[in-house]
Amino acid sequence: MPRLRATYASFKHQALIFFAEPQWLIPNIIAPFVLTLVALLLFKDADGPVVLYAVLGGGMMGMWGNTLYSSGFSIQSERWWGTLESVFAAPCNLIWIIAGRALWNSLIGVVNGLLVFVFAELMFQAPVHLQDAGLFVLAFTLTLLSLACLGLVFSSAFVLTRSASVLTNGLEYPIYVGTGSMFPIALLPYWTGPLSLSLGPTWGIDAVRYAALGSTPYSFTQGYWGDLAFMGMLSLVYLAIAVVLFRQVDLVARRDANLGRF
Amino acid sequence: MAAESVIEVKDLVRVYKSSAGLLGKKKKETLAIDHISFSVGRGELFGLLGPNGAGKTTTIKVLTTLLLPTSGEAKVLGYDVSKQSLEVRKRIGLILGGERGLYYRITGRQNLRYFADLYGVPMSIRDKRIKEVLEQVGLEDRADERVEDYSRGMKQRLHIAKGLVHDPELIFMDEPTIGLDPQAARDTRNMIRDLKAKGKTILLTTHYMFEADELCDRVGVIAKGRIVALDTPRGLKSLIKDTSVIEVEAFGITDVELEAMRALPGVKAVSAVMSEEKQIMRLQVSDPGEMLAKVAGSLPGLNIIGVKVKEPTLEDAYLWLVEGHA
Repeated sequence: MPRLRATYASFKHQALIFFAEPQWLIPNIIAPFVLTLVALLLFKDADGPVVLYAVLGGGMMGMWGNTLYSSGFSIQSERWWGTLESVFAAPCNLIWIIAGRALWNSLIGVVNGLLVFVFAELMFQAPVHLQDAGLFVLAFTLTLLSLACLGLVFSSAFVLTRSASVLTNGLEYPIYVGTGSMFPIALLPYWTGPLSLSLGPTWGIDAVRYAALGSTPYSFTQGYWGDLAFMGMLSLVYLAIAVVLFRQVDLVARRDANLGRF
Repeated sequence: MAAESVIEVKDLVRVYKSSAGLLGKKKKETLAIDHISFSVGRGELFGLLGPNGAGKTTTIKVLTTLLLPTSGEAKVLGYDVSKQSLEVRKRIGLILGGERGLYYRITGRQNLRYFADLYGVPMSIRDKRIKEVLEQVGLEDRADERVEDYSRGMKQRLHIAKGLVHDPELIFMDEPTIGLDPQAARDTRNMIRDLKAKGKTILLTTHYMFEADELCDRVGVIAKGRIVALDTPRGLKSLIKDTSVIEVEAFGITDVELEAMRALPGVKAVSAVMSEEKQIMRLQVSDPGEMLAKVAGSLPGLNIIGVKVKEPTLEDAYLWLVEGHA
């Protein structure tokens, strides 16, 4: 229970910091909106499924951008404020604390994704009719958790580096492309396949599209539930990697004494 | 020492490794703590004194599990700081000084609530406990303002509240009064006294000798990573009991005069307080009667306001020790 309490406290704390720092709106809300706007403008004259494909992609990019930026910048900010050391000194493994933050960051991503839908409907009259709203919400939520798990893996690197923002910038677009948010991964060179398929959100996005559009020429063959199963397995692998990495973080941070530096 | 030991340090060593140059090929090792050993009894207020870079903060960080020792052994409340870090962290409070270490964009109370949650303060008493520590540090009226609007002294008080919110039995304080105005520093010292009166064990580091003299039961003097003396303030002062201090108050004392005094036979140590208005130079000597004339003769053309012979203070003992006389 104390661990879950630390996670919940960190979730609430991240929310407080989010609302107290208006500049977070830029990477968290405005930038993904601009990306979606570009996608919508590109596809505005296309037929329904393509527009919805773009809207979903925009929403997913927003979710990923949020997870990445918020995880990276929240830890970078902790370094600037000198609080990373105090948090590290608490009697709770860092992973439980960062998990709470990653969950908040991903939740903001969901809000962002939903805003993109509303925006698409109101401004572009995009046909965002879903085939199965229930399965869509389920896939969306599980993709959010998978993103949080992936964010947790990256967070371990953010804790150790003094240049989290460089990592954040470097990882943003490869994931947009690699997960198929921007366009179907079937269009990518074959050698990118293993990388794309090793990312949980790739399967999540496919499941989201199944729920929204039904089968498309670019859908994976194992269907909605198969997508979710693969994403679930990958998310568990991310969690296991995160546990190992955070153990290493604990060791390296105490060995190299770099948490107070910025 | 009769009291049960709550901190036991044996042969502790900490080496910092760093690299520089292209591809980090230039490796450098810095010995921050060099085989130190000491223990602190329950309820004791123990001070670590030393110049900048002596190893005080490194010692505190090892004992609070923020750093791993390179070798040696350190136990806090019976737990090994290397292997049982979570057990140690539950039971200790860490108060780091300075402007950083707080969330500026949220209120003082929100800061305390977050750390109370991380330290597992029971929910049934959390808000009551926060109220208590806010009262203890005199911040109850400003607790719901953002920390960015706090003065330096208020931030320091919030640091103290943060370290006390889970009611730890052992408290580490790293230079708790540094950068505070005299009033705020005095308030902080009074808080430290109150904590000791409540039975808390405290290990503090400080640059201020009068502070250590006033507060500490025992003091370890640390220089270049080694403990060069460990005793009560009175015991440390007695190390230079055969020494007197000639205090020269004057206008126009510069580094040239200080060097001249250091070179004078019979002068053991020299320190000075240099301000624009006047300077005060303190010379440690064995025979003040004989040395007074020599000192006056070596300061020609200086506008001397006064010369006094005084008993040595803890600061004099400290200077004598860190200048390599131990």
